[in-house]
Amino acid sequence: MRPLTDEETKAMFEKLSKYIGENIKLLVDRPDGTYCFRLHHDRVYYMSEKILKLATNFSRDKLISVGTCFGKFTKTQKFRLHITALDFLAPYAKGFGVAAKTTQECRRVDPLSIVVFHQADVGEFIRNEDTLT
Amino acid sequence: MLKYDPSKYSHNIRKLDRDDADRSTPVSQLTWQVEGGDDDISRKRRGEFPSYEPRRPKKSRPLGADTCKAPDRKRSEQKNSSDLIQSKRFSIGPTRTDAQGDLDSDEEICRLMAAQDSSHHALQQEAEESPLEVVGLEYSVKSGRKGDEDEYDSADTDELIASRRNLSPLSNERSKGRSQPGEEKVKAVLPLQTLSFKEDSGLEKKRTKTRVLPVLQHGDEEEEEEEESAGSSSDSEYEAMFSNVTRLELSLADLQRLAEEDSQAAGILGSEGDPALAAGPSEQPAPKKGTSPEEILAAILEDSDDDRPRKRKKRKGVTLPPLPAFQGTRSLQETDDLLRREEEEGGGDQMDSRTTETEGQEGEKNGALSQSPVASESSSSSEEDEEERTTETPAAEALLPSQIFSDEGSGEAAPPTLRRKLNAEEEEELQRKANLRRLSALQQRQKKVEEQKKLIQGALANLDAPPPKAGKRIVFDSDDEEENPSQTASSIIQSVEEAAGTRAVANQRAAKDKFSAPQLFDSSEDEDGAEEEENRFDLRPQFEGQAGQKLMALQYRFGTDERFRMDERFLEEEEPDGEAESGLAVEDEALEEEKKKNLSILQNLLGSSKQPSSRTPSKAAKFRDVSTLHYDPSREEHTAFETKTIQTTESKAARRKKREEAQKLPEVSSDIFYEVSGDLKAVFGQTKEELSEAEEENNWDQEEEEEDGGEEEELQTSLLPDDPITTKEESSGFKFSFFGVDGETSSRETTEYKVENIQAPKVSWQQDPRFHDSSSDEEPESQSREAKAEEPPSTMDLFFFYPGDSRLKDGPTLFCRSGQLEEQREDWEERRTMLRREVRKKHKDARRKLKAAPKS
Repeated sequence: MRPLTDEETKAMFEKLSKYIGENIKLLVDRPDGTYCFRLHHDRVYYMSEKILKLATNFSRDKLISVGTCFGKFTKTQKFRLHITALDFLAPYAKGFGVAAKTTQECRRVDPLSIVVFHQADVGEFIRNEDTLT
Repeated sequence: MLKYDPSKYSHNIRKLDRDDADRSTPVSQLTWQVEGGDDDISRKRRGEFPSYEPRRPKKSRPLGADTCKAPDRKRSEQKNSSDLIQSKRFSIGPTRTDAQGDLDSDEEICRLMAAQDSSHHALQQEAEESPLEVVGLEYSVKSGRKGDEDEYDSADTDELIASRRNLSPLSNERSKGRSQPGEEKVKAVLPLQTLSFKEDSGLEKKRTKTRVLPVLQHGDEEEEEEEESAGSSSDSEYEAMFSNVTRLELSLADLQRLAEEDSQAAGILGSEGDPALAAGPSEQPAPKKGTSPEEILAAILEDSDDDRPRKRKKRKGVTLPPLPAFQGTRSLQETDDLLRREEEEGGGDQMDSRTTETEGQEGEKNGALSQSPVASESSSSSEEDEEERTTETPAAEALLPSQIFSDEGSGEAAPPTLRRKLNAEEEEELQRKANLRRLSALQQRQKKVEEQKKLIQGALANLDAPPPKAGKRIVFDSDDEEENPSQTASSIIQSVEEAAGTRAVANQRAAKDKFSAPQLFDSSEDEDGAEEEENRFDLRPQFEGQAGQKLMALQYRFGTDERFRMDERFLEEEEPDGEAESGLAVEDEALEEEKKKNLSILQNLLGSSKQPSSRTPSKAAKFRDVSTLHYDPSREEHTAFETKTIQTTESKAARRKKREEAQKLPEVSSDIFYEVSGDLKAVFGQTKEELSEAEEENNWDQEEEEEDGGEEEELQTSLLPDDPITTKEESSGFKFSFFGVDGETSSRETTEYKVENIQAPKVSWQQDPRFHDSSSDEEPESQSREAKAEEPPSTMDLFFFYPGDSRLKDGPTLFCRSGQLEEQREDWEERRTMLRREVRKKHKDARRKLKAAPKS
C-alpha cells in the first residue's frame, strides 16, 4: 500500500471531476476526519486515517482491501472508476451527460444541434421504470 | 305432492335429492343448512316454526320438495313451515325449470335445496330477531304488506327512509314489481327479497305477480346466472305455484309474534307491542330517528300496515323532516344483544361482509339484523344491499351535514342581509382571525419546507457518516488505563489528565483490593492496613504522563501484589515516548501534506472551471423560491416590490400648456392639409409654375427610376391638367389648374412661400416623406396653407360655434376625404409602383453585393 503519485492522483481526480466536478474537494478535505487515497495492487482505496493506520499492520499480500475501493488503474495507467465509489459520488453527482461540443461551440451553434450526450445513465431504467414501460 | 309429474323438474327434485342424500357435499355446495335434530331450535333454524294456523285459501302445493331431505320431512309435519318451505322451494324450483330442463345436475339441485334451506334458515332468524325489515327491491311494495315487521330490512335505515320516500325512483331503478304495493304480501320471501336487489334480467312478466315472484326469481337468477335465460316459459306454473302466497302472511304473523317476544326481551321495541297498533305511534318517532334501530323497527311496523295511503302519508311525513343526527353507539348497543343473538345462529360471514362495506354502524346494525338471509343466494344480493346502502348513506350523510351546518353558527352562514347587519367591528375581527389563520398557515408551510430541507441534509450527511463508524464496536470514553498510543501533541494533555484520572481509579481499585484483603482474611495486618489506608489516595507521580500511563497498565497487569508495585524506577524513558509521539505527529503531518498536495492537484485540474462553478454556488445560494416569497408590507425590504407611482410635480400651468399643445396639433394639421382656398386665380396661376416644377421634378424622378418609365408617366399625368384637374374641381372644390397663366409672378412668390410651407407636410405624419413625390398633393396643401394664413385668425378664439366658423369647415375635413377618391387611388398607385421599384432595386443591389463579395 502506498500513496498515489502525482500523475495517478491527477488521473483519478480528472475522472472524478467528470462526475462530481469540484466537489472532489469535499472528499479530500473532510471536516469530520482525515481521509486519504491509497494504492494497493493497482486499486485505489479511500479510507480514513484510522483505518489506514490499522492497515499498515498487514502485509501486502495478506491485505485484500482497505476502506472503499474507488477504482483501479489499468495496465495503461488509465483510471477506471468502480461502482463501489457510488456512495461517495452520489451526493455530489452532476447528472448524466457528456458535452458533444465545446463550450464555445455550444454558444454559437443553432438551437437544434446536439450539445450533450445523455449516456451512461444506467440507473435510468430503474429510476424511471414506472414511466418507461 | 299429489301428482307426480316426471316432466316437471320440481317434481323430480325430491327424487334426485334422495340419491344425493348420502353424498358428501362438494365445496360448491357448502351451505348454511343446519343439520339438526328435532328440537325446537334446530327446527326453527331450518325454518320450521310451530304451527300458527294461518289463513290459507289454498293448501295445495304440488311440490314434493318437502320430502327432499329429512329435515324437510319434519317440516312438512308442520303445515306452516312446510308451506313456507314449499312456497320457497316452489319459487326457486319453477324458475329453475324455466331456465333449465330436467337435466339439471344433481349439484345444482342440491344447491338449490341448500339455498332454500338457508333461506328458510334466514327467515327463521329474521323471525326470531327483531322485526327489522329486509329491504328488497320491493321494499316499497312491501309497504302495503302487513307483517312486514318481520321482514328484516337489510338495507340501511337511510335507504329505508329513502325507499319509503321514493317509491317510484327506486322502483325504476330496480325494475321490479314494486309498483304494486297493494299486492299480497309475501313475507315468507323475506330472505329472498334481498335477492331482489339484483337486477332483474328480465322477469318483467312477473311484475304483475306478487312480490314474491320477482324476488324469488331474482334469487334464482343469481344462482344460475350463467344458465338462466330469463325465460318465463313456465310462468303459468310459477303463478300456479305461487297462488299460495297468502300462506306466508300467516307465517309472518307468526314471525311477528316472535318478533314481539324478542323485542320485549331486548327492550328496544317496547313501543311496538302490537305491530298493527303501534304502527301509528311508532311512526312518529320514526321519521325523526331515521337511522336508529327504533326507526327501522318503526318502519317495519309501518309496513305491517296494509293501509297504503296511510303509509304514504307516513312517508310523506317522513320525507319532510330532515334526517336527524346519528343516534350513536347508545342505540347501537341496544341492538347489540340482537346482533349477538343473530350471530350465534350464524350469519357471521354476511354480517362481516356487510359491515365492512357499509359505512358506520348503521349498516352494521342492519346487516347484522338482516343477516340472512339467504346464504348463497343473498350473497350477491347483499352486495346490492350494500351498494344501495352506500348510495343512500351518502345521501343521508349529505343531509346530516347540511343539517349540522344550518344548525351551527348562523353568523358564518349568514345570508347577505345578516352580513350587512354585522358591525364593522365584527368584520374587523373576522379579518383579524382570517389574517391570523393565514399567518399560521404560512408559518406551517415554512416549517414544512425547513423540515424537508433538514431531512435532505440529514440524509445526505448520513451517507458518509457510517463508514467511519462502520464497526459494531462500541467505543467508550477512555476511562481505561490503556490509552491509545496514537495521539497527537494536543491530546497528550488530555491523556495526562486521563491518566491522572485513571491512576486515581487504579489506586482506588488497588485500595479496594487491599481493603478487601484484610476483610477477607483475619487481619493480623491491621496495623499495616491502617497505614496503607492513609497512603492509599496519595498522588503517585510515577504514573503521570504518557510513560506513567504505561506504567499503570503494567501495574494493573500485576494486580495489587505488594511485591509488584510500580514506582518511578520502572518508568520508561521519556525520550522514546516523545519520539513515538513525534512519529505519530509526523504521520499525521504527512497526511496533511498529502491532503494539501491533492488539493493542489485538484486546483490545477479544475482551476479554470472552478471559477464559474464558484459563481454558480453563490448563484445557487441566492436562488430564492419565489413561491415562498410573500409580500409583507411591514418589512422594509419588501418596499422594493411595490410599484411606485410617478408623482407629477408639474404645475397646473404646465399641465394646461401640455393640454393646449396636445390640442393644438390637430388644429395645426387641419390648417395645413384641409384648407380650401377660394382663390381660383391664385390657384390657377400657381399651378402653372408648379407644373413646370413638377415636370422638372418628374424628369428628375424619371431619371432616377429607369425601370418603369411608364409609371413615371402616371406621375406626370397626375400633374397634367385635364383629368385630374377636372375631377378635382368637381369633387372637392379644390380649384386649380396647371395652366393658370395669370398671376404667375405672384404665384411664383406664392410658390416660394408655398415651397417653404410644403416642407411641413413632408414631415408631418400624414405624409410619408419617402414617397412624397407627387406635387399634386403639394399644390392644394400649399395653397390651402396660404389661404389659411390669409384668413383672419380672430374667429378661432371664440368658444361657441358661429356660422362660418372655420372649425365647422375643418371638422368635417378631419374625417371626410380630403381629396378625390380617384386622386388618392392614383396617388397610391404611384406610390405603390415607386415602392416596388425601390424594393426591387434594393433587393437586386443586395444580391449583387452578395455575389460580388464572395467573388472578390
